[in-house]
Amino acid sequence: MKVEPVVYGDRKVFTVSAFNRGVADWLQRLPTLWVEGEVTELRRQAGWQTVFFVLKDPEGAACLSAAMPRGQFDALRLDLANGERVHVYGRPELWTQKGELRLRALSIERFGLGEHLAALERLKGKLAAEGLFAEGRKRPLPRLPRRIGLVTGNDAAAKRDVLTAIQSRFPPARVLVAETLVQGRRAAAAMVDALAAVAAEPEVDVVVLARGGGGFEDLLPFSDERLVRAVVECPVPVVTAVGHEQDTPLCDLAADVRASTPTAAGRLVVPDLAELIAGLARSREALARGTRRTLERHAARLGNAHERLRRAPALMLERRRARLEQTTGRLRALSPRATLDRGYAIVRREGLIVRSAGVVAAGDALAVEVADGSFGARVE
Amino acid sequence: MTYEEAEKELTSIVERLERGDAGLDEALTLWERGEELYRFCAGRLEAAEGKIEELAKRVDAARPAG
Repeated sequence: MKVEPVVYGDRKVFTVSAFNRGVADWLQRLPTLWVEGEVTELRRQAGWQTVFFVLKDPEGAACLSAAMPRGQFDALRLDLANGERVHVYGRPELWTQKGELRLRALSIERFGLGEHLAALERLKGKLAAEGLFAEGRKRPLPRLPRRIGLVTGNDAAAKRDVLTAIQSRFPPARVLVAETLVQGRRAAAAMVDALAAVAAEPEVDVVVLARGGGGFEDLLPFSDERLVRAVVECPVPVVTAVGHEQDTPLCDLAADVRASTPTAAGRLVVPDLAELIAGLARSREALARGTRRTLERHAARLGNAHERLRRAPALMLERRRARLEQTTGRLRALSPRATLDRGYAIVRREGLIVRSAGVVAAGDALAVEVADGSFGARVE
Repeated sequence: MTYEEAEKELTSIVERLERGDAGLDEALTLWERGEELYRFCAGRLEAAEGKIEELAKRVDAARPAG
């Protein structure tokens, strides 16, 4: 296709689309060739006709966008994952809408396990063996943090999501934001510094480490050993919300709580104010009810005691009477009256009871008592 | 006292009173303490003014040169 410039005097000027078309045409003359790299940012979506990914050198930062029609990609049955090393056969082309260079992939062959993943796996194993990811290390989050630290990139979305979630759930929250690098070679060290700085601020009771979604490579600093250790050593609990739900950078494993998204992290670090207020009101009611019940119980016990006290004299009298009657009964049982009734008699001589035949002599006057009276008698 | 401590103590006081077996003086003392804790907690919620601050980028500045 011929690209026509507009001519202003002695200057030839191209429109952007004309320029892009021109470059695209020129690129088509380049040969088809093999490129080796690691697959990152693999995006294969059902609705898309094309599969996109980024190739990168295992060492160094050079990246190359690549694309392949989805049908062709699926036919390869590679089941590719981010981090895998591949050889791609293709030719360079210009994506004219964006003016971006990319590799039009015609074929892909797997070439060994991605070194990043392998290195990550090794690091993960080493840190796990040290116990850094152990459940027992995880600290509970404060119910009502006095201040919340937020370490995040100047990536507006993640920061906004955390803040919005916190403020809508708990308007009185106080948040201290530390913006820092979250991507690139210096990100890990910068985040370590930011984390320490925020945690050292007075009253900061919990720290959120948040970053929006990004490619595998973008999230690498979140698996940096220094950051993982800083999360573990942080004096207050750390909540991480890094990338999307399926990403699990190592700092997530070290965090006290791992949130699936920045919004979820925001909701985790503060209580629901309305619920809190309702709960407090319920506690206060229960407090009054409990006190009232205790007082009522005491009043009832007092009334009961008073009633018993009032009845005590009558009761005492009654008992005495009963005891007296019992004693009288026993006394009666011992009296000789009953014996006399059965036909026995008491014989007295000069007033003394005669218990032996030897104490009386003939002619003695005796008094004989029987049940219904007494009469005199004389000894023969 | 932190909010959590106050809330926890308030809850245990409520439970103690709900059992109804506290002595009279004890019950009144508990009630007073519970009210105090309630006011503390409610105060914490009402007094707090929502605030978003930015941590000054003094992380680098504070570092001694060299």
